[in-house]
Amino acid sequence: MKALSTDHLLGIKYLKKEDINLIFETADHFKEVINRPIKKVPSLRDITIANLFFENSTRTKLSFELAEKRLSADIINFSAGQSSVKKGETLIDTVNNILSMKVDIVVMRHPNVGAGVFLSKHVNARIINAGDGAHEHPTQALLDSYSIREKLGSVKGKKIVIIGDILHSRVALSNIFALQLQGAKVKICGPTTLIPKFITSLGVEVETNLKKALEWCDVANVLRVQHERMDIKYFPSIREYTQLFGIDKALLDSLGKKIVIMHPGPINRGVEITSDVADSDQSIILNQVENGVAIRMAVIYLLAQQIKK
Amino acid sequence: MNILIKSAKIIDSQSPFHLKTQDVLIEKGIVTTIASTIKNTNNIKEVKLENLHISSGWFDSSVSFGEPGFEERETIENGLKVAAKSGFTAVAMNPNTYPVLDNKSAVEFLINKANGNIVNLYPIANLTQQAKGLDLAELYDMYNSGAIAFGDYNKSINNANLMKLALLYAQNFDGLVISFPQNNSLSNNGLANEGETSTKLGLKGNPAIAEELQIARDLFLLEYTGGKLHIPTITTEKSVKLIADAKKKGLNVTCSVSAHHLFLTDIELEEFDTNYKVSPPLRTKKDINALKKGIINGTIDMITSDHNPIDIENKKIEFKNALDGTIGLESFFGAVNKLLPLEKTIECITNAPRKRFNLKNETITIGKTANLTLFNPELEYEFNKENIVSTSKNSAFLGKKLKGKVYGIFANNKLTIN
Repeated sequence: MKALSTDHLLGIKYLKKEDINLIFETADHFKEVINRPIKKVPSLRDITIANLFFENSTRTKLSFELAEKRLSADIINFSAGQSSVKKGETLIDTVNNILSMKVDIVVMRHPNVGAGVFLSKHVNARIINAGDGAHEHPTQALLDSYSIREKLGSVKGKKIVIIGDILHSRVALSNIFALQLQGAKVKICGPTTLIPKFITSLGVEVETNLKKALEWCDVANVLRVQHERMDIKYFPSIREYTQLFGIDKALLDSLGKKIVIMHPGPINRGVEITSDVADSDQSIILNQVENGVAIRMAVIYLLAQQIKK
Repeated sequence: MNILIKSAKIIDSQSPFHLKTQDVLIEKGIVTTIASTIKNTNNIKEVKLENLHISSGWFDSSVSFGEPGFEERETIENGLKVAAKSGFTAVAMNPNTYPVLDNKSAVEFLINKANGNIVNLYPIANLTQQAKGLDLAELYDMYNSGAIAFGDYNKSINNANLMKLALLYAQNFDGLVISFPQNNSLSNNGLANEGETSTKLGLKGNPAIAEELQIARDLFLLEYTGGKLHIPTITTEKSVKLIADAKKKGLNVTCSVSAHHLFLTDIELEEFDTNYKVSPPLRTKKDINALKKGIINGTIDMITSDHNPIDIENKKIEFKNALDGTIGLESFFGAVNKLLPLEKTIECITNAPRKRFNLKNETITIGKTANLTLFNPELEYEFNKENIVSTSKNSAFLGKKLKGKVYGIFANNKLTIN
């Protein structure tokens, strides 16, 4: 049986193309499973997973939890609000305490960049990064690519534009790595204040004109503005952001072709996209959510196989 | 004490014996004879070591020890032991302490604490009260107590008017002002050099322009006020150019570069290893090349270890939460000597910084007090934890191949051989 080339899922940049293919093939299987009347397989009855969320999350946490339950793993949940983190305990101690209760896999979201990499070096468990600061959010990028593959047949050669707050976005970074690994062309688009100065060093192009970006692309992945990560106003007002970078139906219809609209959520309706765009037949936003469960099942399953070896 | 150093190659551009291999006789701490062969008639202690080189004692213009306040990181006693082992007969200690070093008694505490040690410790006092960057500390009082320069270590002075006043006021006693090169509103709590690596890793960038703008500001101020300014640990290509231009204009400015900014780039951060989290941040290969050129052509006056011990509790944590700093004394010579011509390296840790910080000039000549560093510039080795005597082990040089080993020092009529 094929196996992943890594012991952890810390970021897309630590994966090989073959790993992504393997995850997708495995996800295909699980997608079929979760559409059965009995949506559950007994594969991971002997595996215990800790979901450690040191930062707020709704959909990612639910998606992981559901994926784990569908695989019959035992799970424990932990969020920073109710924890000893606030009492000054270090991350290593917190996690080691949980691991001493015989946990095999840790799914962690953390506000600090590199927290997953750090943990993988200091604790004895498989780590799945569910988002670490502005670094990576690998399962999101995998489900995004998987959704493109499902909708358009493949990712290779497709033109994807990522629109919005690139500077504070782990989703953007993971998506760039994932799409490039699969041979897609990537442009980014957003306010110049929210585009990292050295972003082109990653091999992407920058397009600051939204209409041009949309005319170029096959898929637009629209990101939310992450106000909570901003220490200063990077643009004068939301109104003005919407004027420059909001996608409405009129704009979408003016393109002369049908592009695919994606959004990792949560959507600020009326800001980055209007409701009629989010709910249109061009949008695959809810497919992304469904695929998220299948992708996370695949990742967890593949890492668990390595423990069993 | 009396010792006879056998066949040592003397590296001392001020000495008539420069680049000559000689025996050196030291009696009661004074160099009494230098000759190609000296007979050991009185059966005094001989120092005979492989490929032995000696220079006048090294001086590091920027080290931090933890005392007072952070003794768990490093004490003065052990810190000076580390300095001696690393070849330094003198160090300037940063006001990186708690309480801060903003008054006469704090300066005197340090001087008394180091009194009688083989290594001389010279305090750099805080420029501002409580290191808050609001009002000047009692600079003259501290100067009279032995402070050799004034700066708030790696906290920059945001207020341009305050820097102007500092440069003006220090002229009353020919004091040296140190200004950390970082504009805080532009560095904006950045965690790494803004560049390809920070972008790839999602690390908040600390752009080169944050350093360059502050240097440009300070040089404009210096041109306006006159006085003496030292800019520590510059790291970017443009910073070198700014200082070269200022020197051409005749401004009284000097600058230093740290060994780690010469040896390492931001690529080291790829694994989020907190030992590479330093302030200013590690930059790029292009910057390193410019810094090296700046040393060779004299734009950069001195090289420092910028030794900064940090306890494991503040390093073995997530990258964002870890404190800035690397220890650097013990790896200093092996790192810098690998990158630069030997004579240049020695110049940058002896005559040049001593002159700038107004310390006694040291040279290897008959009749002078012996203040020496003994070393072998050719020995290659890998730097690892066993090489570290420092209380804190936060070294950015762990696992690096270095070239050049220190044998020991002779200073204050004492000899220590590693």
